[in-house]
Amino acid sequence: MTCSAVKQMNNLLSLLGDYTFQVVAVGSCALGIISGISGSFATLRQQSLLGDSISHSALAGVAIAFILTGSKTTEVLLIGAGIVGLIATYLITQLSRFSKANFESVMAVVMSSFFGLGLMLLTYIQHLPNANQAGLNRFLFGQAATMLSTDVLLILIVAVLIILTVCLFFKEFKLFVFDRDFASDLGLPTGLLNFILSTMVVLTVILGIQSVGVVLMSALLISPAIAARQWTHHLSSLIGLAAILGGISGLGGTLISSSITNFPTGPAIVLIISLILIVSLLIAPGRGIIWQRQQLHRAKLNVAADMILLHLLEVHKSTFSAADFAAIHASQAPLYSMDQLVKNLQERHSIEKQESLFIVQESAIQELSGHLKKEEPDNA
Amino acid sequence: MKKILLIGLCLLLISGCSRSKHVEGKINIVATTTMLTDLVSQIGKDHVSLTGLMGPGIDPHLYQASAGNVIDMQNADIVVYNGVHLEGKMSEIFDELSKVNKTTIKLEDGLNQSALIHVDEETLDPHIWFDVKNWEDGARYVAQQLSAYDPENAADYAQNAQDYLKQLEELDTYVRTRAEELPSSQRYLVTAHDAFNYFARAYGFEVVAIQGISTSSEASTTNIRHLADLIVEKKIKAIFVESSVPTKTIQSLKDAVSSRGFNVEIGGSLYSDSLGDKQSNTETYIKTVKANIDTIVDALK
Amino acid sequence: MPEFEIQLIAVIASVACAVLGTFIVLRKMSMLTDAITHTILLGIVLAYFISKDLSSPLLYVGAIIMGLFTVYLVSLLQNTHLLSEEAAIGVVFPFLFSIAIILISLFAGSVHLDTDSVLLGELAFAPFDRLVVFGIDIGAKSIYTMGLVLILNAGFVKIFYKELQLSSFDSLLAYTLGFAPTVLHYLLMTFVSITAVSAFSVVGSILVVAFMIAPPITARLLTHELKPMIWISALIGAFNALIGYQIARSFDVSIAGSMALMSGLSFVIVLLFSRQSGMITRIWQQLHLKRDYDDMALLIHLFHHYKTEVQESETNIHTIVNHLNWEPHRLENCVKRLLNKHLIVVESDQYQLTSEGIAFAAHQYTTLFK
Repeated sequence: MTCSAVKQMNNLLSLLGDYTFQVVAVGSCALGIISGISGSFATLRQQSLLGDSISHSALAGVAIAFILTGSKTTEVLLIGAGIVGLIATYLITQLSRFSKANFESVMAVVMSSFFGLGLMLLTYIQHLPNANQAGLNRFLFGQAATMLSTDVLLILIVAVLIILTVCLFFKEFKLFVFDRDFASDLGLPTGLLNFILSTMVVLTVILGIQSVGVVLMSALLISPAIAARQWTHHLSSLIGLAAILGGISGLGGTLISSSITNFPTGPAIVLIISLILIVSLLIAPGRGIIWQRQQLHRAKLNVAADMILLHLLEVHKSTFSAADFAAIHASQAPLYSMDQLVKNLQERHSIEKQESLFIVQESAIQELSGHLKKEEPDNA
Repeated sequence: MKKILLIGLCLLLISGCSRSKHVEGKINIVATTTMLTDLVSQIGKDHVSLTGLMGPGIDPHLYQASAGNVIDMQNADIVVYNGVHLEGKMSEIFDELSKVNKTTIKLEDGLNQSALIHVDEETLDPHIWFDVKNWEDGARYVAQQLSAYDPENAADYAQNAQDYLKQLEELDTYVRTRAEELPSSQRYLVTAHDAFNYFARAYGFEVVAIQGISTSSEASTTNIRHLADLIVEKKIKAIFVESSVPTKTIQSLKDAVSSRGFNVEIGGSLYSDSLGDKQSNTETYIKTVKANIDTIVDALK
Repeated sequence: MPEFEIQLIAVIASVACAVLGTFIVLRKMSMLTDAITHTILLGIVLAYFISKDLSSPLLYVGAIIMGLFTVYLVSLLQNTHLLSEEAAIGVVFPFLFSIAIILISLFAGSVHLDTDSVLLGELAFAPFDRLVVFGIDIGAKSIYTMGLVLILNAGFVKIFYKELQLSSFDSLLAYTLGFAPTVLHYLLMTFVSITAVSAFSVVGSILVVAFMIAPPITARLLTHELKPMIWISALIGAFNALIGYQIARSFDVSIAGSMALMSGLSFVIVLLFSRQSGMITRIWQQLHLKRDYDDMALLIHLFHHYKTEVQESETNIHTIVNHLNWEPHRLENCVKRLLNKHLIVVESDQYQLTSEGIAFAAHQYTTLFK
């Protein structure tokens, strides 16, 4: 090994052995995993942006918790934020159902109203003669880099709870998410299932914003699930893959942030999961953007080739030479080269090469005959 | 329904007009930070009726105005603010207040340009108050401006300023003496964010912060690691919390240091962006600065 | 005077937002406005790196452009049809916002570069930011900036009304005619971005969302026609602003917060009480329906047995209960109502129809049993 390679290895090893790195890495990874799981359900239920709205609503919860208890300890504030978050979620679902207004519009309104309430309470608190009340909202919105071992422990406990719940009630959740009416017909307690799923999301979000901040949590909730969705549509593998991707981004983000000075951890995690998402969107087999482009390209090529074949059939009947092809090609001047088009026709078994001539296959003639027949009366 | 709204609008128009609560005979002054409120009260004493926009413990960067502040501003004869972009966009509004026939006192104007610390080529550090000498300049400036506004009581302002300056001098000496109890190798001030540059420069400390001044910046694990290494290397005994910043930030640093086998204490809470309060006996500038230096030196010894 | 100006500014801002907000709600892009309030930080950061000046107007331009860019990215993602519309929003804004934080932390950690310090949206101070022209103080600057935005928005809506109407209500048709993002879509979003940034710097971020979204969805409870919807949104927005201010004054709290809360409250109130869809209204109506049914049933019962042999027992005040099969208090209430309306009288232990009662019952009878 060369000197610099050894040095890099040592750096990496010392990084891995570093306490802060370990704490933040484990915490972020675990958070990524539970975000992937909760997020899968949230996105399936069209509640992707719930994370954002819970975070905004939480401000009111924090303020109320402080007013009632006078304490600024994270546990108290978390509980306050959690309760209000649940109330907000409940309100959003109920209001949008009753008003038949769009879910995300109601979400936006509830979110800003609760945040407004939070601001009102915050300014009310400001007037209280207590120097201890400063920066309440800062206490809620954490940063990934300053995660403590207690945070990580909490996340791990919640992770175990969530994984257990999902494993135990997988069938019920699956039915509930995909066909709620059928589920209730079958006698499943849809209200309870709804509550459990909502609590899962709220818990994840509140835990998350306390450890890594608001904006990051929104990304962690949605992106792993969406990325996973590009690769599979079976619920079990979706959840699993989302969890893995979430975990990877948590780990990766911590790695980056631990190697570059001043590189903030939370945003690094968002960067990784966003990149994973972009790549997934691009290359997902059978649906990705690249695949879509290919399909489009293929379709256009087919049409262009068929156009030429059509003309050839009219003029030369079913056998033609390369020169004939070139002549039509020149007159039509399609976007594709002759070689491309010939290859296309051969691949589709529309034509076959015999020595120096091309023979149009029966199947192709029949396929195109519909167009030919229409042409004939006009030609006559 | 439109009629109701029209009537409502008219009512509000009328209601909005006259609700001033002028205190007769005194100058109505609105000051932004608690430090400024304290300063003006020391100089103006009974001649002024003071309203502080921000209460104790309020971080100026996080300050949220309330509806009552509007009336305060409306009634104010003079507005006192820090400047150096501490109050953000608000200070730009204050800069223009002279157009509305309001007198303003911008503390930054009372300081020497050379006294200001540059954070980079463009930006200045606004936390000027922790260098007591700066505050002395400020006191003189406030007295001067008050006298210009209210020449009748100019003698009182001058006297009050004199008395206060004496106290500030004593304070400065006190801080210096206490600081010198620490050998220069021990004078490291490790805090959550970069508010103590002026203090550090004046009294021979080195400030290391986990994150920069900007509240939008986020910490990086690399910074925490490097900082932990530094603490262990220099054998720094204590790190400090600020009243307006979550303890978590400092706690994570402490844990990192512990994992390296060194024990660093959380030396106490410092007042960085505002003064303390009556409860903790730190409601004035002098008391706060004293409390800060005491906390620092006692912990680092 | 400042109080009046604050309310004036808020009203202008709310109307300017409501006008565009109607289309945003119809196009289901509500959360996009919230996303923009986060992503403009990146625009500000980039503009700052160019201008190196926190007070430069370039920062506003940067914010507006970034707002547009956000919309562009979201549309791009939505058009792949690989993820839901709101998921696209939820993916784009954290990404852009994170880049902003990274840039700030890496290159500008010592600068007070956050949205609130650059775009101070605080109504409480708006009246003190004066516009002085040729030495004359003509009012708070915000009145004119938001006023200009209002005029621009109103003009835009007026000119492109038909196109906006079509593409908002029948997006599928519009899609087949010329797919989104069309020029109109981006034009609309340009105005939204400008409105959002201006409103941000006048009333603050949460109020931008509250002013843009809440009045339109409230109006939607009251009407489904576009023009009334816009007008009602504007009125509701103004109402929220005014009442919100009064609340803030009474409790000495955040002005923007109160207005935002009020926006939500007015939605809930209309939801509960509106004639078309109000929850309480529906309950109220059902109650009344029940009463009307009971009244009619009793009248017809009396009518049916009028001048028949069994009239004696059927209409006796003591035994009628058995014939009708009602609980006593239900009968009691019904009788009270009918007595009040002079449709029946009590004569020697019998319920008798008055002449009006007869006419009324006869009419009902024939209508029902014809």
